Amino acid sequence: MSILEYNGAAIIAMTGKNCVGIACDTRLGAQAQTVSCDFRKVFQFNKSFVGLAGLATDVQTMNNLLTFRKNLYELREEREMTPRVLSNLLSNLLYEKRFGPYFIEPVVAGLDENNEPFLSGMDLIGAPVYTDDFVVSGTATGNMYGMCETLYKKDMEVEELFETLSQALLASVDRDALSGWGATVHIVTKDGVISRELKARMD
Amino acid sequence: MARRYDSSTTTFSPEGRLHQVEYAIEAINNAGTCIGILAKDGIVMASEKRVTSGLLAPSKSSEKTYKISQHVACNVAGLTADANILIDQARLRAGRYEYQYCEPIPVEQLVELVCNYKQAYTQYGGLRPFGVAFLFAGYDEHYGFQLYQSDPSGNYSGWKATVIGSNNQAGKSLLKNEYGSSSSSEEEEEEKEGEMKVEGAATEEISMPDVKGALRLAVKVLNKTMDASASSSEKMELYVMSLENGQVVHKILNKEEAQKVIDEVEAEATPAGET
Repeated sequence: MSILEYNGAAIIAMTGKNCVGIACDTRLGAQAQTVSCDFRKVFQFNKSFVGLAGLATDVQTMNNLLTFRKNLYELREEREMTPRVLSNLLSNLLYEKRFGPYFIEPVVAGLDENNEPFLSGMDLIGAPVYTDDFVVSGTATGNMYGMCETLYKKDMEVEELFETLSQALLASVDRDALSGWGATVHIVTKDGVISRELKARMD
Repeated sequence: MARRYDSSTTTFSPEGRLHQVEYAIEAINNAGTCIGILAKDGIVMASEKRVTSGLLAPSKSSEKTYKISQHVACNVAGLTADANILIDQARLRAGRYEYQYCEPIPVEQLVELVCNYKQAYTQYGGLRPFGVAFLFAGYDEHYGFQLYQSDPSGNYSGWKATVIGSNNQAGKSLLKNEYGSSSSSEEEEEEKEGEMKVEGAATEEISMPDVKGALRLAVKVLNKTMDASASSSEKMELYVMSLENGQVVHKILNKEEAQKVIDEVEAEATPAGET
């Protein structure tokens, strides 16, 4: 088993009409043994969300590091970090450890300064990819790509985006032993963030 | 005789003084005044803005008040360029502590870190000291609201109320008389048991004002220390740190709010003066 699959995770982010959604499972395992069912992998930074899939210790460390850098940025620049800048920062932080990387594959989703949706995904050494539909990461990516490709439509409104995200995630993690055990969804609009816990199969 | 010993930071004079450090302190006495007052429910920092030209493009939100972290802010008196270095240091150290311990840095520890950084320039390297004095205002769960003053020597001390910058002696003596007296807070009048309301009387027990009272006191002191005869909201910057729902809130009063406080102070002063 690869080190990236040790703890298990599943993250999907999708764009909608003037909104973005990001969903993650909440399982933390030590290979086959489930240790926790409320380990969240999605973290909020103002109007952006960062989803971190991979080794749990690196998920927590990168969250702390990003919080530190985001606070420093806001103090110095007296403005908020846009999702694009956050994504670039993350990419840079990962490449700094090129020959001893953090074992995470992050996803960034948010609304930029014009409230336009932004998505990006990255590998563990910071190579970014920018899409306008969806990005996935974790141990069930095969499942998630299939579900997203099938269920995704452009310009979904908030409630429809929520449904699509939820169904795509739930169906994907149910066929993956290492992810699941609960799920959280966040939808970001210009008026704020709506967060919901999903009722998922706890197995 | 002092001349032989004053050009190097790292040399004591025969009287046991570090002249470069003292000259640095002199530089600050020409800078815009900053007043800090500790209140029951927060901290007030008032400063004199010395904007030199109407042509200056507005850049940062303030030339005097800087946020160091979620729970600490500071006021600057002295060389702005020197201050920028130290403020950045303070922000980094506060950030690193929080990164390491996942909790906010205790205020005194932050002040001590900045001061230790300043002290190095009085002992090693042959570099001149920083020409900046700070007023640090912060809140932590161990000691609540705290106010610290630090100077180029790297010395710091905690205060209930203090002044730095030009005319700080006049400001300090006014604070000594007025801080903690019953005239600086409306609410504490009921709390005082059997004490007569006498303006400016020295009380045995210093009772802390609330934020509103502290603001008025700060404006009163600033009126005294400022060169200009008329006080206006353009020349003053009033900053308040307080607690809201358990979170520290930083606020620089806008023009209307500042003017309101100035007017209140003026109204207080007139009955005591000539009719």
